[in-house]
Amino acid sequence: MKTIIKNTGNKIALGALAVLLCFTSCQEYLEVEPQDKLNEDQVYNDIFDADAIVVGIYGKFMGLAKKHIILNELRADLVSPTDNADGYLRELNEHSVSKNNTYANPKDFYEVINNCNDALENFKIMVEENKMEISEFNERYSDIGTLRSWLYLQLGMHYGEIPYITEPVENIDDVQDISQYPRIPFDQLLEELVDYIESLPYTDPYNTNSTLVIDVDGYNTAKFFINKNCLLGDIYLWDGNYLQAASHYKTVLETASSSGNDSDRFDIYRIKYADVVNHNDFAVGYTRFAEQDASSLVNNNTQGWRSMFAREKDRLWNTEWIWSLPFDSNFAPKNPFLNLFSNSGGDYLLKPSQHAMDIWEEEVQQNGVPYDARGKKFSYNMINDQPVIMKYLFKHLDPISQLPVDEFQTAGDWFLYRAAKLHLRYAEAANRDNQHKIADALLNYGVRSAYTVEGETDKTDIEQTHLPFPYDFDARNGDFPRYRADWHRNGGIRGRAYLERTEVVGDSLISIEGNLINESAKELAFEGNRWGDLVRIARRRNDPSFLADRIYQKLSREGNSNASAVRSKLMNPENWYLPFEWGVE
Amino acid sequence: MLAGMTLLTVVSCSNPWDDHSANSDENIEQTLGDRLTNDSQTTEFGKLLEETGYDRILSGSKTYTVWPPTNEALASVPQEALSDMKSKKLFVQNHITLTAFSSVSEQDTVTVQMLSNKYLEFKNGAVIFDANVITTDQYASNGLYHVIDKALVPQQNVWEYLKSNAGNKMSSYLLSLDEFNIYQSDSTAKVRAKSEPGLYADSLSNSYLKNVLNLNNEKNKYTFFLLEDDGYDAEVEKLKPYLIKSNEDSTTTYTSYFTARDYVFHKAIARENLPDTLESRFGVKVPIDTDNIVEEVHLSNGVVYVMSTLDVPLETRLLTTQIEGEDPEGFSHGDKRGNTYYREKEDLNGILFYDIMVQNHGEPEFAIYYNTRDLYSTTYEVYWRAINDIQENTFEQRLRFGGTFDLEGEVVDPIATLDYTDVGPDVYDEIFIGEFTLEESGDLDLISLIAANTGSNGDNTLTLDYLKLVPVIK
Repeated sequence: MKTIIKNTGNKIALGALAVLLCFTSCQEYLEVEPQDKLNEDQVYNDIFDADAIVVGIYGKFMGLAKKHIILNELRADLVSPTDNADGYLRELNEHSVSKNNTYANPKDFYEVINNCNDALENFKIMVEENKMEISEFNERYSDIGTLRSWLYLQLGMHYGEIPYITEPVENIDDVQDISQYPRIPFDQLLEELVDYIESLPYTDPYNTNSTLVIDVDGYNTAKFFINKNCLLGDIYLWDGNYLQAASHYKTVLETASSSGNDSDRFDIYRIKYADVVNHNDFAVGYTRFAEQDASSLVNNNTQGWRSMFAREKDRLWNTEWIWSLPFDSNFAPKNPFLNLFSNSGGDYLLKPSQHAMDIWEEEVQQNGVPYDARGKKFSYNMINDQPVIMKYLFKHLDPISQLPVDEFQTAGDWFLYRAAKLHLRYAEAANRDNQHKIADALLNYGVRSAYTVEGETDKTDIEQTHLPFPYDFDARNGDFPRYRADWHRNGGIRGRAYLERTEVVGDSLISIEGNLINESAKELAFEGNRWGDLVRIARRRNDPSFLADRIYQKLSREGNSNASAVRSKLMNPENWYLPFEWGVE
Repeated sequence: MLAGMTLLTVVSCSNPWDDHSANSDENIEQTLGDRLTNDSQTTEFGKLLEETGYDRILSGSKTYTVWPPTNEALASVPQEALSDMKSKKLFVQNHITLTAFSSVSEQDTVTVQMLSNKYLEFKNGAVIFDANVITTDQYASNGLYHVIDKALVPQQNVWEYLKSNAGNKMSSYLLSLDEFNIYQSDSTAKVRAKSEPGLYADSLSNSYLKNVLNLNNEKNKYTFFLLEDDGYDAEVEKLKPYLIKSNEDSTTTYTSYFTARDYVFHKAIARENLPDTLESRFGVKVPIDTDNIVEEVHLSNGVVYVMSTLDVPLETRLLTTQIEGEDPEGFSHGDKRGNTYYREKEDLNGILFYDIMVQNHGEPEFAIYYNTRDLYSTTYEVYWRAINDIQENTFEQRLRFGGTFDLEGEVVDPIATLDYTDVGPDVYDEIFIGEFTLEESGDLDLISLIAANTGSNGDNTLTLDYLKLVPVIK
């Protein structure tokens, strides 16, 4: 009986509502604009909307930082899981990744790619509708287009065959549908990327007058955005077009060549030699005249090699960093690295591999100290008898107590591109383009030291390469007559690290290339480059053992019983790649 | 619906929730204290609980496990174990532990800390220490009990055993170290042991417990060799010439200490597992002859072997002293930190070494100071490893042992000053430097490494990896 009464009541109410509606205009009633959301046609109205889209995409992009570091380091040979690590991390470490492994899920990448595609399409519409100047369009379109290419290059090196999608996708899960979006092999992907980046209208960084280059919350945004020539160089380097790669890298190397400020001109991206007096540099240094005292190592957040990961974003910082995105305590996304690496306050999931620690121990410094200080003094430290990756923690831990200064102070950075990486990559391209001497010079003690003549005071015809672009270096530093050429302060990667020079043994090309990749391990460890380095060289040489042996080294040094099995698995390049799959919700 | 309501009205006379929560198991309604006094197997232990007040503790809200002995087992406990209230309490405590230990466990052996602070091993849920469990897993509202066929009489630990054996010369000497301080720092420790009872206090109260091993600690296990008087006297006499002090009494006291400190070892080592040689924590190799074992005493924290003799030859008893160059105590000039290099380097074989080098300081006879403890009254042979790897030239340096600072800051009355010795480039060997003799044993507070008597840099460099002082047998 009760139900019957209830139904009658509802009918009355419905009736009343229907009557009420009849008196109001349906059109206006239904078309109220939401107050807290934007419609599609409200987003792309003017240049400031476009800027907001660009910044929004980079914000979303930062959500990939954790995955980027995990995939590129844990799958390679320099990082190992700790006892705290879960099964998925162990799977990556041992190259037996199951389909539901969350770290191996490419969906996040495609979400950002889809945002890029959407923005690119709408930027085109905006310029057609005269909502944006063509020069503004060129800058923004090229920036987002390059960022998307970076994402595809990452996907290629981790997943091998992937769908290359350049239009917005309505439902992101459709990306997995092979009939709709066929997958192309890595080689073909590289060709597509070359074609695409060739077509980009603009390759320089944002103009300093751009509305995107501003100070926000104490951060200057200039180095937030991807450096297009660096990525162009990278893609050509992967593709095997070494002259093109070297040319694009060289353009970045010469960023400051037209600067009116001498110290900018001599220092920016040139791997400056050590400032042995004041240590306002990025060199491995010891107190002057006490170089024999190992305890006098310059080891703080404001001087020397370590400071590039810890210092304020000042003039000196600008001479090294090309692309770096900051994580702030107060804004999302949260810094994922403290949890990943710190053993005080964090979960401590990843640590340097024994193999990595051994690599640094094999070096001898110029003062006879028998290890590379970039290893146990800087890149990792022993904290409570545990090896801890430090590059991401300098801003978080007290330098003396090595405890968090403040648990809520979680600022840090995602380190994406810096001068040392640029020099190593340029040298790799130059070496393949038969410029062995230049490659060896940049790796060791710099151009001037390689091209000087002992005892010669007139530097007019020496200390330079006498070669056309992109192999033209002038490093003259003379007083009679006076020369202070653009490259005169270049001290080389190993010179800056205070190490003995590496020797070239046997075939120059192969030997120098090996030296460069080994140096990249020591200089750029834990910055998300290693997997790419190993895959790139192994592909180029058609020698899977280049990659497989190093992974084997890591696993066997830590007593992993699967080491040999993993090695034989990785001898087949098809097994380098992750399963391209994600669960549809 | 109406039918349903009628049905409910009819049924609701009994309350199913009350039925559900009512408990038919009487065991759960009783506390451990109640159950133990009522269990016919353990009534005698129950009486003991009441007498010591532990029946009330076992009726509390904390969870306990008890291993009560049967009445028959309790009857065969020796009288002295239950002679007074203190020993009765200790006896009861030795059967009880906090928290529940079931007979079912993933581990085959569980080490249980009893309320007596003794640690007993509970094996496979069937044996605790040397008693068999005859009735397992009896439960009560606040814990479990397992009835056992033999009482767990509290055992002495090694230190308590020595205390009860004061007739032995060696143990009476060790007990005398409650009063006598071997090192100066012992006296403050002993004051602290009295003023702050609790943490570490038992290890601070005696110079032997503090400086050698804390035989009072129930958590560790020890092996201790107690010498009978004749054997002990022989060992002390043998060592006496090397521990000469200003008077005969002190000599005896210190010789006894340096003899006895090498007779205790970490871990309880069963007789059949005793090796030929044990190394004491001071690095002395002690040969073990099991034929000389007179008695073997098993105690709560280890084992004591009473020995007729335990002969340690002087060759292994007298220890070489090594002083690391990179651990200086001070310098003759305080402003040369910039010239002082604490180095980490590799020798020609790639072996890492740490050393000190002081270079370009400009001071004639610049000196680095060291000190060391516990030297013997004998002649020492002196060796060093001093590495000159960054200079092309040979420089010289010398060593001075002993002496005190006068008012001008000069060192006077040294025991010995050795000759200048060349430090040639790239010599990585250990080199014999000379000898010196100590008339009295003890600490040497001032050892100086002195640079050449010249201000010219390069010639007055000092370098030292380590010094080695090797005692010579008289």
